[in-house]
Amino acid sequence: MHGKLPLKKAKRRVLPDFLSAFLPDFLPDSISRMLPGALTLAAGLVVWKAISLFFYPIFFPGPAVLFERMIAIYSDPASYVVVGQTLARIFEGFVLSMLIGTALGLVMGLKRGIEIFFDSWIMVLLTFPAVCWAFLSVLWFGLSETAPIFTIVLIVFPYVAMNIWAGTKAVEKDLLLMGRVYKADRSLMLRKVLIPQLMPYIFSSLRISLSLSWKIALVAEAFGVGSGVGQQLINWFQNTRVDMMLAWGVSFMIIMVLIDLLIFRTWARRTFAWRPEFAT
Amino acid sequence: MASKLNTIGLRVGSIVALLLLWWAASKLMNDAEVLPGPLAIASTILKDLHTPGPEGESPYFDIGITLARIFVTFFASMIAGTGIGLAMGLNRLCERSLLALIPLMLTMPTILMVFVAIMWFGYSEAGALVAVMAVVTPLVAVNMYEGTRAMDKSLIDMAVTFKAGRYLLLRNVYIPQLMPYIFSAFRYAFGQTWKIVALAETFGLKFGIGYMFFFWFQQFDITQTLAWIMMFVFLMLVLEHGVFARLESRAFAWRSSSLARGRA
Amino acid sequence: MAAVEAGLRQPRHRLHRDNNRQAWKMSAYRVHNVQRIDTIPVISGAPMSHGGTGSAITIDNLTKTFPAPGSGKEFVVIQDVSLTVDEGKFVSLVGPSGCGKSTLLNVIAGIESYDSGSVTIHPKAGRTGAEPRIAYVFQSPRLLNWLTVENNIHFVLEAQKVPRQRWRELVAKKLEMVGLAGQERNYPLNLSGGMQQRVAIARALAIEPDILLMDEPFSHLDAITARKMRFDLMEILASAKPTILFVTHDLAEAVFLSDNIYMMSTKPARIFKRVAIDIARPRKPEDETILDLEKTLVRDFFSVVEAND
Repeated sequence: MHGKLPLKKAKRRVLPDFLSAFLPDFLPDSISRMLPGALTLAAGLVVWKAISLFFYPIFFPGPAVLFERMIAIYSDPASYVVVGQTLARIFEGFVLSMLIGTALGLVMGLKRGIEIFFDSWIMVLLTFPAVCWAFLSVLWFGLSETAPIFTIVLIVFPYVAMNIWAGTKAVEKDLLLMGRVYKADRSLMLRKVLIPQLMPYIFSSLRISLSLSWKIALVAEAFGVGSGVGQQLINWFQNTRVDMMLAWGVSFMIIMVLIDLLIFRTWARRTFAWRPEFAT
Repeated sequence: MASKLNTIGLRVGSIVALLLLWWAASKLMNDAEVLPGPLAIASTILKDLHTPGPEGESPYFDIGITLARIFVTFFASMIAGTGIGLAMGLNRLCERSLLALIPLMLTMPTILMVFVAIMWFGYSEAGALVAVMAVVTPLVAVNMYEGTRAMDKSLIDMAVTFKAGRYLLLRNVYIPQLMPYIFSAFRYAFGQTWKIVALAETFGLKFGIGYMFFFWFQQFDITQTLAWIMMFVFLMLVLEHGVFARLESRAFAWRSSSLARGRA
Repeated sequence: MAAVEAGLRQPRHRLHRDNNRQAWKMSAYRVHNVQRIDTIPVISGAPMSHGGTGSAITIDNLTKTFPAPGSGKEFVVIQDVSLTVDEGKFVSLVGPSGCGKSTLLNVIAGIESYDSGSVTIHPKAGRTGAEPRIAYVFQSPRLLNWLTVENNIHFVLEAQKVPRQRWRELVAKKLEMVGLAGQERNYPLNLSGGMQQRVAIARALAIEPDILLMDEPFSHLDAITARKMRFDLMEILASAKPTILFVTHDLAEAVFLSDNIYMMSTKPARIFKRVAIDIARPRKPEDETILDLEKTLVRDFFSVVEAND
């Protein structure tokens, strides 16, 4: 395509001399770049297996054992119900915190007075540990769905608010003036000038929000509801079964990472196509 | 001048508004079981400070031990994290090997780390230490690593052309550029640390503020639970914003004030 | 985001019709006591021009102050500026960089208020009734980097309520005029600084403005690109013939481009000399007549400007 600059990555020597002496010359650059990382991971697996030989599998599971347990969990259809419940709570909490947080962040950016006023509230909210809200929401809402969602929202929305508020501060005044000079009306300014500048912040808020929400959901479930992955975690914790605990925890972690990659990576590429680093 | 008074007035006003909101909500609920008002909590706190805890220990001991745990684990993680982060920044091999590990560690949910640490190291201080370090060290490491990457190479080149020695370079070029990262790592790490310590104490560490509010939670005593939570939050607020913010604004006096204004 | 809020609000003063002269006057936003802090002796009498048919912009004794941050005092940014821009003419304001000149343009563009005096804008002959169209080319291109080149132009066309059927043809024509034919689908960050500024010019011309305001548009470009752009600007303007008010700190540039030059000192902005450039176009920057004229003007210009420092 005309005008698009191809991105060239500078070639760097990534391996020290003594290592590269052992490797064949024709190894492509990308592999030699990944090699130390891959080696560390492989070494990690070996060390893990080695340590696990000294302990009972239910106390310190080796990689094979862990994998086995995970298969066992996901062969059972009941597990999917459990995961589904947790995902539902995460989703609701995440959506609510995004809505409330974005609204608050925008409003804080708009009026200096509101900004100063809510700044203190947000500071206080950010100081509350997750476990405190988990307790309080159980005491207030009992073992209902509201408890974990309430916990999630109260912890996550201040982060979103702060992020969006920072975004409003970073809006370029010059471009707003340009729009005004050409007499663009409010809707046009919002659509074409303001919101595109807030997109990176909205985007990063979405990622942070999701990543926080699922971790808090686990804590909230551990202390309340009586169902969900978090409840599995505390259940196995109380039964001193590290293997099952890790199996549930790690597998859920993998699920959330996949969701993050699937949704956000592909979306980023589309929304930010105008940036030179994404030029194809 | 007027705007400064305005700012302070608004801040004070917002805290007052928060307290009023709380009080109004509690009056509405009209049930001490659901939402005790701020006055009830305040009086409970004062009473608690004179009452021995379930094991007969002084409440100040609980507070003290929590603070001790927080500080020890915090410093341990800061030192380890800074070391690793700088190593990653300065040594290419370190960087390539550890880079893959960091996102992994960062994604692990805190509660899992705490559970595993407690199970492997028991209901002891070691358990809390491991849990905190496992979560906070990667955080600090990433921060410091980003700091080394964001360093302005042109300034280093400039210093080298003037034949600046190692020590001069370190003091005047490297460290000032790393300071913002050190501070932000400080802040974030501290925030995470106390939350993990609270979680760990809740799960069965003996003594501590977390231990107290789990104790009252089990008794379904919302007044006491809230009282201990408030004590904890207040303490942390004072530490975070009183101490750290002060330090931060002094260290960054050379920067435009907009940054400092944004915080405290 | 007070700036954002200001950006979203409509312009602070309204253009209203001055029924006597079929022209548009801008009402002042606020009027209050002006405290003169600084005075510069005027070399030649500042022209008092009369608005009448033939002039597109008339400014009479315009004064603007800004409240100084910290102290309660106000300082004068524009002091008693009067000038006329005749229709179809290219007028330059030459003076040192700094506040004042740009503020003046902002006042005319309708995004700044002023304190006293008047600003009258006469629409093109034959277009009475509609509001005059003002286009602005800034020092930096101020393009919306997330929109393609053509969408950037569509943005102002939509803002100015130009009917959609005309958009495609306008975009194609103006881009060709500035030498960027075919770049419609490209993104601004993939273009060089000079090309981005050309897109900004194409954007300005796309709305077929009555008045074109230009604020040091070439000062951020390197000398070679800037020189080329000046030639191109002359070519472009040969076909369209908008009224142009051009601000620059470069006297040579002004002599090459303009029909009239107002020399200004800044802090506060005051006009101290008006010169008419009667040299025929197309002009060559190395031409004898131009260089001679520059020599005389340079003496006058720098003697005031440097004395003021």
